Amino acid sequence: MKKLLLLGLMTLGISVLSACTLGTGNDGDRSITIYSERHYESDQNLFDQFEEETGVSVNVVKASADELITRLEQEGSDTEADLLLIADAGRLGRAKDMNLLQAVESALLEERIPEIYRDIDDTWFGLTKRARVIVYHPDRVSESDLSTYEALGDPVWENRVVIRSSTNIYNQSMIASMLAIHEEAYVRDFVSSLVGNFARSPEGNDRDQAKAVMAGLADVAILNTYYMGKMAYSSDPFEVEVAEALRVFFPNQETTGTHVNVSAIGLTKHAKNVDDAILLMEYLAGEEAQGVFANANYEYPVNENVEAHELLSSWGDFVAQDLSLTQLGVYANEAAILMDEEGWE
Amino acid sequence: MRLRQHLHSFSIVSIIVFVLVLVVFLQLFAGFTGEASDAWIHIKEYLLFDYIKNSFFLVLFTALFSAVFGFVGAYLVTFYEFPFRKFFGWAMILPLAVPSYIAAYIYGDMFSYTGIVSRLLRGIGIVSQIDVMSLFGASMIFALTLYPYVFMTVRSSLNKQSNEIYESARLLKVSKSKIWRKILLPLSRPALVAGVLLVVLETLNDYGVVKYFNVRVFSFAIFDAWFRLGDVGAAIRLSGVMLIFVFVIVVIERVLRRNKVYYTLQGRKRLRKALSTKAKVFGYMALGFPLMFGFIIPVIYLSYYSLLTYSKTLDMELLYVTVNTLSISVVATLITLFIALFVANLDRFTTSKFFKRMINFITLGYAIPGAVLAVLVSLFFIGMDRDLVPLYQLFGVDKTLVLTRSLAMLSFAYILRFLTLAFNNIESTYQKIGPSYTEASYTLGQGKLKTLWSVDVPMLKDGLIFAFVIVFIDVVKELPLTLILRPTNYDTMATKVYQYASDEMIHEASLPSLLLVSVGVIMIYLITHRKLKKRVK
Repeated sequence: MKKLLLLGLMTLGISVLSACTLGTGNDGDRSITIYSERHYESDQNLFDQFEEETGVSVNVVKASADELITRLEQEGSDTEADLLLIADAGRLGRAKDMNLLQAVESALLEERIPEIYRDIDDTWFGLTKRARVIVYHPDRVSESDLSTYEALGDPVWENRVVIRSSTNIYNQSMIASMLAIHEEAYVRDFVSSLVGNFARSPEGNDRDQAKAVMAGLADVAILNTYYMGKMAYSSDPFEVEVAEALRVFFPNQETTGTHVNVSAIGLTKHAKNVDDAILLMEYLAGEEAQGVFANANYEYPVNENVEAHELLSSWGDFVAQDLSLTQLGVYANEAAILMDEEGWE
Repeated sequence: MRLRQHLHSFSIVSIIVFVLVLVVFLQLFAGFTGEASDAWIHIKEYLLFDYIKNSFFLVLFTALFSAVFGFVGAYLVTFYEFPFRKFFGWAMILPLAVPSYIAAYIYGDMFSYTGIVSRLLRGIGIVSQIDVMSLFGASMIFALTLYPYVFMTVRSSLNKQSNEIYESARLLKVSKSKIWRKILLPLSRPALVAGVLLVVLETLNDYGVVKYFNVRVFSFAIFDAWFRLGDVGAAIRLSGVMLIFVFVIVVIERVLRRNKVYYTLQGRKRLRKALSTKAKVFGYMALGFPLMFGFIIPVIYLSYYSLLTYSKTLDMELLYVTVNTLSISVVATLITLFIALFVANLDRFTTSKFFKRMINFITLGYAIPGAVLAVLVSLFFIGMDRDLVPLYQLFGVDKTLVLTRSLAMLSFAYILRFLTLAFNNIESTYQKIGPSYTEASYTLGQGKLKTLWSVDVPMLKDGLIFAFVIVFIDVVKELPLTLILRPTNYDTMATKVYQYASDEMIHEASLPSLLLVSVGVIMIYLITHRKLKKRVK
């Protein structure tokens, strides 16, 4: 009898634990669930604002992009997710290939978001842009020394370049964009010569690359624009110092344009609240929300009616790659494999 | 008849656990049967050699450093008397409260261009930068945060070694180096090796440090294959290779230890020698260095940045996260202890070879790195949920992934992983008590569970509390399992810290990190001081 009791207690313990997490769904009248990779407070404020305006509450599930995609795949038609928000077009391309997204027809989205920042099949829509730029120290490099990403493979840059790991999705998408534009052999040459010029084997995050340039470990780094913004307005005065000392250069202005990636949103295949979900997508592409994105996180708004943050404007206009970002997903795996093969750690 | 004799609550619980572990493992073999995918061929060609090489060197350096920190510390506090000896006796365990990944974020930041160390160096005119984000730096961080395992096992073995051997050796004018070579090291070797093994297994389990430093070892590789290359099959194959690697290490340990435990019962109270002034300087340095870098500096750093960032990070969510962390850790730890108690009891009295082997197999859990276990457990639960759909429908639940999306999956993984730790602690306490009381109770006609509750548990109390604390701290710190297996939107302190760090908000991670460390510190303080009080009595 007692044995049974003890065994019973154990199962009870486990089932209570399970029960605790079962009833977490929002029972409000109208609500949508969004799987988001972005953990910014400004995003939450936008969702709150949206609820106030429309009465639709937004339940956010946060995790890394890969985790969310894996989860969405496992859940299949049981998923509660209506929307998927990820900071990389390549990853959304993967979600699309895995048949996790569905097409959205919305005149508002088409009007607000330029064509190259939307998926060809309308399964995802870019919301904010970031450019992957060259950051340099003006004491050691003059602007005229810089021209293209490819030029960083030249022998003069030996031991002078830092960039983070090839496992990072921004790098993967950057190389994918090149594969979309050029022949594979051309890109392979570039990657191989760039790796040869690394001042150290890749480590740390984007900010760490800027700091390495500041420290004199290297003269140039490749990183995303908004990290310069974040450092310029950091609570750490020493990061501000780094941001003020370094300069931003937009490469490939005369050739293919600077690589641009987006944070983008897609409607999931098994979304239960399609109309409200599309309402939120349209809201996020609208001028008010785009202004919030631009100012809180130093990203470029996709909506051309909205101004970028003054810091970003101060760097001037630039020519972006004229490439449908759908291609980032198409070439993602090829890029990952190519970087491994050329020894980019 | 024989069968009935073997079937009782202890063996039934053990068999259930055994079957579960076995089924989970079968996933691994199933993964090997399929055709090799492109991703796997790619990994084998370009990456596998590096993974093996890096894992080897990371393990080697970490083992060496942690052995030195832990052994020297334990030796000093056991054999010598000096001011603050008692303080060091428990403070040396404190770095265990600092998860390795948090130490990595801290030192990564301190040594970065804007970090305090580089700034100070520049202040005195040294411009070169120390690169902590390397394989060597990572092994130092692991050693500094994990050496307490060595410290604890070695100290408890030294405490058991008879004083007379050392006194006789000294009377016979045996040189100090010879005492070390011929007595101290050989006698302590089993404990040293066992402690280092724990450190090594924890190192291989880590995902946070190696991810941040970009040190490509197995756990890194498994997540990379699974997520970046999107290939679960390749991840499973890598897990297989990693397990071979781990088992080689476990076998080396068994050979080095040859299952020997040397100790003689302590005779007289140990007379601790005073340290000469020169030796005192060395002694304080040997104790102070790991304590300083493994605990004090990280805590100062975390406190400082918690003060700077609390307005951003102190909110209701942090309260939920704290409650989440504590509640799941308590529940998982209790269930783990409970099962370990049953398995340990089966282990004590069974003569069956089958059961002995079964127990060996069950307690392999700790050797399986979190990344591997995460892959296997999630596959297992998804399969189970698909099978259970009719049952769910019976209860009117119109979902498939019921268990997979609940805390059951995470708790299950915790139990599998930490059962070994709980079992080892309980078993060693049982060894000290011996079987006679329990046997007497059986002879007097008390049932097994009644005896367990009213005879064993009161005697095991200290051992159980110790086991609880060790397992609890480990669960609270656990990252890779929690990250992958947690239900949606369920954050623990560990995942919260990881999230801030991966958003490049290292300073904002300070407050949850500090909370996490505090939980460990409180637990360590409680057990070490409980014991001290008893000894005084």
